[in-house]
Amino acid sequence: MTFGSMKYLLHVHQITIYLGVFSLIEAKQKAAVTLAGFPPEVVDQYIAFAADGDPIRLDSVVLGVLQFHLPHPPSQPLSAMTGSTRLLEDLGCDSLAMIDMLFVAEEIFGVRLTDDELARVTTLDDLLAHFRRHVVPGVPGV
Amino acid sequence: MNAVGTQERRVVVSGLGFITSIGNDCARVTHNLREQRSGIERFEFLPGHALPVTVAGTIKDFDTSGAQWASWRWPAPYVIPKDILRGLPPHGIHAFCAMEQAILDARLSPAEVGSEETGLFCASAGSPRLLRLSLNQIHASNGERVPPMTAVSTIAGTLNFNLSAHYGVRGAVAGFSSACASTTQALGYGFDEIRLGRQRRVFVVGGEDLGLDSIYGFHGMRALSRNPDPARASRPFDRDRDGFVGTGGAAVILLEEAETAARRGAPCYAEMLGWGQASDGFSPALSAPDGRGLVSAMRNALSFSGVTAAEIDYVNAHATSTPAGDASEAVALRTVFTAAGAHPSVSSTKGLTGHGLSLAGVMETGFCALALSSGFIPGTANLEHPDPACDGLTLPRTSVDRAPRLILKNSSGFGGTNVSIVLRRPER
Repeated sequence: MTFGSMKYLLHVHQITIYLGVFSLIEAKQKAAVTLAGFPPEVVDQYIAFAADGDPIRLDSVVLGVLQFHLPHPPSQPLSAMTGSTRLLEDLGCDSLAMIDMLFVAEEIFGVRLTDDELARVTTLDDLLAHFRRHVVPGVPGV
Repeated sequence: MNAVGTQERRVVVSGLGFITSIGNDCARVTHNLREQRSGIERFEFLPGHALPVTVAGTIKDFDTSGAQWASWRWPAPYVIPKDILRGLPPHGIHAFCAMEQAILDARLSPAEVGSEETGLFCASAGSPRLLRLSLNQIHASNGERVPPMTAVSTIAGTLNFNLSAHYGVRGAVAGFSSACASTTQALGYGFDEIRLGRQRRVFVVGGEDLGLDSIYGFHGMRALSRNPDPARASRPFDRDRDGFVGTGGAAVILLEEAETAARRGAPCYAEMLGWGQASDGFSPALSAPDGRGLVSAMRNALSFSGVTAAEIDYVNAHATSTPAGDASEAVALRTVFTAAGAHPSVSSTKGLTGHGLSLAGVMETGFCALALSSGFIPGTANLEHPDPACDGLTLPRTSVDRAPRLILKNSSGFGGTNVSIVLRRPER
């Protein structure tokens, strides 16, 4: 998206934008492509987050995307687990799953995460905090 | 196994699996082969663009058209764990399901599959489509985003990488890349492994990812049919054939030492008596017009198997429906059979399925095993006016309700690689 088109969207659609710079229209387009095949509740939460910027929804999307990529299903939904749950040791989230998950998350939130940042993420809390730092409401709807 | 001599060790087909254009299990494939129900239909290789090639042998009840595994769909009975799914190519879904069928069919336990006595030989062209999508992502991100399973899921060995790991196969695992002769060659070497006492059983798996990236390149050499009629485009041995029709999917044959299979109560579809191979030494892409390599391959297979040309009841030809390839095979068949006074029925099942490239050999050998066990000879669909090059050959156009005892199956690939195998009806 160019700056010009973003400005156009801001004026016409009265949307909220985030640091990752994405709009509701973009979010729906990204959901159709990048989240194709994901559980419907993850897609719904993502669209809702694009609309209202509620950080609780952001957490839900991040956990939903992570859960979808785990090599083996977790014993219970990640949303019901404690924040100290370890990604590798407790969830079996190997490096392949982590990279796959981050590619999807980066794409739908329009952010980039470095390898150094990734290395410091070891628990669910780390992961959620990481995304909350990068994907925060920026300029509210104009 | 070493207590038994090489000559005494018999090799049988004790398990089959199919995800093909004419059916996704043994029963459906047998029915459609016998009744001549085609798997070919209209197909958009590049949606929104009017390409000259408009038909293909499609896989039904699966959807692997999406760019990511997350969006792929398969029938409910199959459960594909994420740890293998994320490294599979699109046709790996088909191969996985065909493997599940073959294992169940053969009554093998997980421990028997995941053993040093079990081998796995595979072939496919990999997934050019998935490779293109991954490379596009790498280029678009200036090298920042490299999908981690790009190599595992896209290159030619992808089926052996994934299936051997998932099933814990610890015997001989190998990939074959002799183009359209690949899985017939894999069957040959699998036969050898068992006869030599190195393995009790060998799975042979072929699969291809039907789509523009895998198939449409053949249009460059005008090898694909431009006939828009699904009911007439693939017509092996016909005077008016104009190229092959592509197909994808997967097929699995389990070759096994006969006593081992019998003790387990596994089915016996056919006994493999032997095989032979020889090359043209002629062209990287074209078959030798005199069929020299295929003549030698067939004679080697017959000789090794202790069978004469006159004893063969049916030949399942490679014939893909290309003008040059079919003519070359017809010449070879006349040299080996007609000239020797032998007149087996000859057909190509590609009239029904289309041509599955490296999948073709194992899929069609599977068809032969079904024909032997069910007692019929498949015909060549869409054959209306036999090519004069076929004069002297017996070419049934529809299925023949006669149980063959001995079948010879041919495959030929780029580079002039030719492979023939001989199968015998199981003893009742």
